[in-house]
Amino acid sequence: MLKVLIKKQIGEVFKGYFYNAKKNQMRSKFAVALWILFFVAIMVGVLGGMFGYLAFNLCESFLAAKVGWLYFMIMSSIAIVLGAFGSVFNTYSGLYLAKDNDLLLSMPIPVNSVIASRLLNVYLLGTMYAATAIIPAVIVYWYVAGITVARVICGILLFLIISMIVLLLSCILGWVVAKISLKLKNKSMVTVLTSLAFIGGYYFLYFKASDLIHNVVINAVVYGEKIKGVAYGLYLFGRIGEGNILATLGFFTAAVALTVLTWMVLARSFLKIATATGKTARVKYVAKSVKEKSIFGALLAKEFGKFTSSANYMLNCGLGVLVIPACGVLLLVKGKAFLPVLDRIWSGYQDAAVVLIITGLCTLTSMIITAVPSVSLEGKSLWILQSMPIEPKTVLRVKATMQFLLSGLPMLFSCVCALLVVKADMSVKTLLIAMPLLYAALAAVFNTMIGVKMPLLNWTNELAPIKQSGAVLLSMIIGWGSSVALFGLYMWQGYKIGAAAYLGIWMIVMAGVTIGIFRWLDTKGAKLFASL
Amino acid sequence: MLKIEHLTKCYGEKKAVDDLSIHIQKGEIYGFIGHNGAGKTTTLKSVVGIQQFDEGKITVCGESIVESPLSCKKKIAYIPDNPDLYEFMSGIKYLNFVADIFAMPRAQREERIKTYADLFEITDDLAQPISAYSHGMKQKLAIVSAWLHAPELIIMDEPFVGLDPKAAHLLKEMMRKHCDNGGAIFFSTHVLEVAEKLCDKVAIIKQGQLVKAGTMEEVKGDSSLEDVFLELEAE
Repeated sequence: MLKVLIKKQIGEVFKGYFYNAKKNQMRSKFAVALWILFFVAIMVGVLGGMFGYLAFNLCESFLAAKVGWLYFMIMSSIAIVLGAFGSVFNTYSGLYLAKDNDLLLSMPIPVNSVIASRLLNVYLLGTMYAATAIIPAVIVYWYVAGITVARVICGILLFLIISMIVLLLSCILGWVVAKISLKLKNKSMVTVLTSLAFIGGYYFLYFKASDLIHNVVINAVVYGEKIKGVAYGLYLFGRIGEGNILATLGFFTAAVALTVLTWMVLARSFLKIATATGKTARVKYVAKSVKEKSIFGALLAKEFGKFTSSANYMLNCGLGVLVIPACGVLLLVKGKAFLPVLDRIWSGYQDAAVVLIITGLCTLTSMIITAVPSVSLEGKSLWILQSMPIEPKTVLRVKATMQFLLSGLPMLFSCVCALLVVKADMSVKTLLIAMPLLYAALAAVFNTMIGVKMPLLNWTNELAPIKQSGAVLLSMIIGWGSSVALFGLYMWQGYKIGAAAYLGIWMIVMAGVTIGIFRWLDTKGAKLFASL
Repeated sequence: MLKIEHLTKCYGEKKAVDDLSIHIQKGEIYGFIGHNGAGKTTTLKSVVGIQQFDEGKITVCGESIVESPLSCKKKIAYIPDNPDLYEFMSGIKYLNFVADIFAMPRAQREERIKTYADLFEITDDLAQPISAYSHGMKQKLAIVSAWLHAPELIIMDEPFVGLDPKAAHLLKEMMRKHCDNGGAIFFSTHVLEVAEKLCDKVAIIKQGQLVKAGTMEEVKGDSSLEDVFLELEAE
């Protein structure tokens, strides 16, 4: 029984490797092997390699300073954070709010078997993430400090202790996420904001990590003594990796005890959490007058409604909405300092910095691709638009308009920011505003065209059209490719005719292509949409 | 009101609908019966203009669904077999969306939303997201949205599935009233007892072909509709 449940759990987590959501069919054995190989390469090669490299950098310095325990404390912390955060959403969806809780609980399966299978799944995934950091750390230590029996035994036990701590933290964090999720009303917006906070935090740490590690390495002895003084437990924890049998046995016993406690708590509360309805307070409808909308307005409101209701949609197709104005502000703050530097570097290429800014803004516009999956996202609800008295061309125009509004308005703000710091002729300055806006319009109609030409309507998970479709990839490649071409061609030959003439030519070409695609959407595109 | 003439639709080699002709007059409730995969849904989808067909002609109030789709669709309301509505909208937003598309004035839409939502007892739930609705509630919302803009012709695919007995009874009353007021209804169903009691006319389709059509008396004679249907299926 337990084996069957575990197999089902693991199969669910790695479903993407065996099942093609886009084509709604199982993958071939060859494709499965390739996906697994790819996964192993990412985990061992990329993550393992990255932490192995970090371990090498830290280990020698810490050993030289005779604070090997600090090395293990840092690497263990990384492994625990990675394991716990890497699997927290899996814990949330797999342990507490699994979709098949009702089904399994209605079957003659002991509740303990359900918990055990779910817990083992959480344990394995958390351990997998943690292993990418702690295994390289232990191996590097053995390599640098030398292998002894005590170090091998303690190293293995350290790995097990960390895996148990990760399990405990995953359960606690998963429980917190599940509790919050049950109460939240605007889950999508909260998910987006949380994700943005994580992305922001990640980049902050990424840029600061080098300084931070450098600082710790230089002052290893001082920090080591401080930590030892205020948190002796952490010192003892670090000593496990060094081969301290006593510390190892102490922490191992504590970890096993905590795991047993976790099991007992879960066994008591699982049924209550798993069967909680989790509905937010029911809002009773109170009739109120609403303003009538035109068909175009109603469709546009519907598109924005869909966009703001899906965290996946916002994060994967609309992140540029925030990034573009942020870059505008950055340009405003730092522009006066770095633009003269660029002018000096490219002294032979007049206005190259302006062309670069325009290229940058166009590249950022390519991050907004809401129109690409918008046709596919109609999915099973496509019948609504098709059975109503709506011209298909209006539907496509609306989808293009939403993308244009999402990219054009932040773009306008950034263009104004750029204008304030750029020194150029009036003609070039005019193009600095016109060009990115026209690019946004072109991207909007082009992405709508791709969306209607490459629809994916039989998806079971909305991530398939949003993230995994060929249409999205094609849109991004063409978007970035055209941006690169804009700057590359200028630096190659364009500068000879001057920025104004060069950008003018681009404007004429882009306007022509935009009008061409717009007409296509109104005619052939509309027919195509009607026949979906 | 609705004329389907020699309708043929193929999926690859297979003829899903084969030379089907049905005429529906004003005031008629027309039932459409057939086994699973007989071609009912394909026919209904062709009528509302969301399915292209290979041969034949479909006209709504004299206008072709192919040549004047917008004009036809303004007169039609459609309820599919599975009410896949916009889950990200609340019930009231969806109804207002439909009202906007059909350019309904504010006072009229407010009055009709209240009337029909009250009838189906979903008024209190209109602020809830559709994703939180049960299948039956979604079906009720789809019915309210269909009646909202007072269409002349209502096309329904298995409309009673998921409805509680009270709502099913209400729907039957509304269907009768709609047709008594000059409208027409064309719907598919597997519930033969309902079809027998409710329909003025009925058509039985088998493997894409019309095997029997006419008034209820013409089709069933002295037998029950179930007997006639099973007899035809066995042939």
